[in-house]
Amino acid sequence: MIHLLQHAVFAAAARYPRREAFVCGTERMTYAELSRKVRQLAQTLRAQGVEPGDRVGIYLNRCVETAVAIYGILHAGGVYVPLNPKAPATQNAYVIEDCGIDVLVSHPSQKRSLKALMGAGSRVQKIIGGAKTDGRVRVTGWETVFADTPEGIAPGRRVETDLAYIIYTSGSTGKPKGIMHSHASGLAFARNAAARYDLSFEDRFGNHAPIYFDISQLAYFAAPLVGGTAVIATDAETIFPASLGRLMERERITVWYSVPLALVQLLNSGTADTLVLDKVRYLFYAGEALAPKYARQLFPLFPGAQFGNWYGPAETNVCTCYDLPGPPEGEAPIPIGDVWQNTDRLIVGADDEKVSPGETGELLIRTTTQMLGYWNLPGRSAKAWFVRRVAGDLEQRFYRTGDLVREEENGCLHFLGRADHQVKIRGYRVELSAVERLLLASPAVREACALALSGGKDGALQLTALVILQAPGIMTEKELLAYLRDELPWYAVPETILFRGHFPRTATDKIDRSKLKSELVA
Amino acid sequence: MMQQTIVDYIKNEIHGGDPELEIEPEDDLLGSGLLGSMEMMRLVEHLETTYDFRVAPQDMAIENFMTVAAMAAYVERVKA
Repeated sequence: MIHLLQHAVFAAAARYPRREAFVCGTERMTYAELSRKVRQLAQTLRAQGVEPGDRVGIYLNRCVETAVAIYGILHAGGVYVPLNPKAPATQNAYVIEDCGIDVLVSHPSQKRSLKALMGAGSRVQKIIGGAKTDGRVRVTGWETVFADTPEGIAPGRRVETDLAYIIYTSGSTGKPKGIMHSHASGLAFARNAAARYDLSFEDRFGNHAPIYFDISQLAYFAAPLVGGTAVIATDAETIFPASLGRLMERERITVWYSVPLALVQLLNSGTADTLVLDKVRYLFYAGEALAPKYARQLFPLFPGAQFGNWYGPAETNVCTCYDLPGPPEGEAPIPIGDVWQNTDRLIVGADDEKVSPGETGELLIRTTTQMLGYWNLPGRSAKAWFVRRVAGDLEQRFYRTGDLVREEENGCLHFLGRADHQVKIRGYRVELSAVERLLLASPAVREACALALSGGKDGALQLTALVILQAPGIMTEKELLAYLRDELPWYAVPETILFRGHFPRTATDKIDRSKLKSELVA
Repeated sequence: MMQQTIVDYIKNEIHGGDPELEIEPEDDLLGSGLLGSMEMMRLVEHLETTYDFRVAPQDMAIENFMTVAAMAAYVERVKA
């Protein structure tokens, strides 16, 4: 019975020992090798004092060791906390302090930023795979870990609802929050995906996201569950789209899941039509909307693929999906579909009452893939839930997504934007995402971002749009504004349009709106 | 010679002249976090401007930009 995440790896190793489990760059690891290394790492962690329930940080770039780290920590009974080596040292030090991490799993390639992290005064005492130069910290090399003969570990009495991992949000407002997930919620996601799309040991999962982003969990959790192969793009492959495309072709990827940005970069790389990508049978994306015009350009590149728009905040993982029937016509945004199996939903107004059919409301989700809560933030956690009394003291908890949706007659949901991306301009409600969508619909525009900033008379909120053009100068601000005036109510037309070469992005590849805002205000 | 120019650019223009920074020709520039995507693009633009050429789209690939050695070899190939 698979009830803890690591059981999937051991089951796959028993059934398909010689099949490839994880591939990254030139490294290829079979299930037998993965199983062995997981047991070796777990043994090392235990020997170093890691006890069930302890939080262990993973401080790695994209590499096969991420799989060993995740499952090794889980097998030792620990809770893994993926850290971003490219984040500021102070941010990582905060996370380490917040959830009490004493041990990191890392690699000598990260020695430069590890040094900065230790310099920021973190409490870490032991590093597996650290470099020798880490002064006061006890370092155990990977060679030592893998030289050990794995003996059995006392499994302990772990239950599937136990904490398994904590994903920290990048937190656009205030400090990052640790989203707590259990073995049950991670496995539920893998099972939902595997069942709905009939995934099997023959599937080869293409992964683009880093492990601190839950988009990586299809490859990291579902691949072992079905005994398939997870192909992890290297950092370099995520930066050079031509190389990413060749990876997808060379590794005969059958299931791809990433942010839309990776696919759009592939389109813009100028190499996509030389690739043969007919083995891809599922192309899933999540995290941001994919503009209909880009979806239309992607369809011919993936002639064998079913496209799926997946939606879900990190607090619930994926909860709705929309299987695109074909290339979208027109510019209407692609819907987010409906909840998939084992998931319930409500659409409520400001008073938490159900809205009338077809009215806009906030989406509330109840599902087996939802978080346990926010680490060490009981007040914040309590606010995240809408609690519905069923009978007596039997309650149902729905997560408040903070996203606005509208339901069609057939139950299909349309995403209308974050509740907090609605702004009031001169007393009128404006959806920033609607302005962005319209800009994106223009063939001259590659990317667009709409922001509301105080600037007018009396510091009133004004709209500013930032645009990346397909080629410099192909459209002027005046021309774009004229185009917008044809389509938008007068109060929703931006005061100015600024042209940029690129947008700053967050660690999860979303447009970094707060950074853009602070650049403009300065 | 070309390798040293690239190393110097990374040290001085991207890492503010950090005296402790050591870069080997075969170091994985992106995997080690020495360069992020923005810095890599800056470096590529710098090479294009300095050596007066444009990187063709199909050449924007890891084989040519993963290490200092690979970059130097690529630029020398293109200029030949």
